[in-house]
Amino acid sequence: MLQVRSGEAEMLGVLFDRYQTPLYNFYTKMTQDRVLSEDLVQDVFLRILRYRQTYRPGTPFRAWIYQIARNARVDAMRKVKPEAPMLAEPTAPAAADAAQQKQEAQLLQRALMRLPEDKREILILSRYQELKYEEIARLMGCEVGAVKVRVHRALQQLREAFRQLERGAGSKVSDHTGGQLPSPRTWQ
Amino acid sequence: MNCERVAEWLPDYLEGSLSSAQRGIVEEHLQHCATCFDEVAVWKKMSALPSEEPSPESRARFEAMLHAFPSTEVGEPARTFVAARPASGWASVIQWLRTPVGALAWSLALLVIGVGIGTRIGGKDASHSEEIAAMHSELASMKQLVVLSMLTQQSASERLQGVNYTNREEHLDPQVLAALLRTLRYDNSVDVRLAALDTLSRHANQPQIRKSVVDSLQEQQSPMVQVALIDLLSEWRDPDAAQRLRNFQQIKNLNPTVRQRAEWAVSKLQ
Repeated sequence: MLQVRSGEAEMLGVLFDRYQTPLYNFYTKMTQDRVLSEDLVQDVFLRILRYRQTYRPGTPFRAWIYQIARNARVDAMRKVKPEAPMLAEPTAPAAADAAQQKQEAQLLQRALMRLPEDKREILILSRYQELKYEEIARLMGCEVGAVKVRVHRALQQLREAFRQLERGAGSKVSDHTGGQLPSPRTWQ
Repeated sequence: MNCERVAEWLPDYLEGSLSSAQRGIVEEHLQHCATCFDEVAVWKKMSALPSEEPSPESRARFEAMLHAFPSTEVGEPARTFVAARPASGWASVIQWLRTPVGALAWSLALLVIGVGIGTRIGGKDASHSEEIAAMHSELASMKQLVVLSMLTQQSASERLQGVNYTNREEHLDPQVLAALLRTLRYDNSVDVRLAALDTLSRHANQPQIRKSVVDSLQEQQSPMVQVALIDLLSEWRDPDAAQRLRNFQQIKNLNPTVRQRAEWAVSKLQ
């Protein structure tokens, strides 16, 4: 029995090793919550175990696993009470030499959090998860052309949010270098 | 070119999938349009967000989840036995057991406990083997999922790894076999195709698999895969093998070594 169990662990472990970091990053960028992101990654693999029969051979596996990942997040969001704060871990104060880069990353993350969820998601999938537009189209059940339009609109909005935050940060830099990142709920 | 036209191409530009001519047109526009230029700049800046690693406990949690999975999904057999009676008034109990009535009651009690344990162990064995069977079936479908997922990977070495997982299996699911046949025909990598052929040849006792493998000879472009297929045909000695090889020899621009091999196989089959 242990042999079967370890065989199964080995096989799912292959998928886990391959996808846990990309999925974790998908979730941290979407939610800014590391603890929740780790829980969601676990949930994805539990769902893979449960729903593995639903994978259709020959179809892109990444689209399938991200579909599961999206559903897991949507379900988790439903369970979270609206008043419950989603705690982001405080970020350490930036070292002087890396301060600018760090600040830029923080501004970007904040700008991302200002976007509506669907726009944030499409940018994260295409930019960070490196999904092709075809894969995203399959994932979202729309045409590739529609995905490209959405990516472009999301990027336009991100640019505006980022530049706006940057202007604000320029006047009071100290506010952003050591502070806690905002709760995503505040931006939705 | 105006922003509206560029907007149509920009997503492909960002993905790096434009032709060099189109890319040139977009870049020309970017030099004159501050807004579009800034959009691209922000897209590039997005790489500043670091990729983070999950905590080391993540893997342990995953394994614990996996370990717990059958007990919640398949149904855990009862494992607890009847709790022992609390140890109270031992002296009087032992004294009572020494009496004839007590001795008879003791013997009967032992008999009942013995039968009870026997039945329980028997029942446990049955449910235990059911559990093992369920786990075996889970393992098979998990392997299938991993193989199918790996066959769609972009990297040839990962697809090869996926094919190699199938090598150890005596029985393969029809879906996996179909995926291997697709790999044999359409995979870009010769190594991956050869590995798929190797696995498929072990399942040549299935007529449909055998036919599909033989049929793929006409479509193969790689001399190495062609030679491997010719060798299989001469080994299997199907009635139409010689005719198939003769048809194959008709293909123009066939590699001389491959043609020679086909001639050798035909002579061996006659």
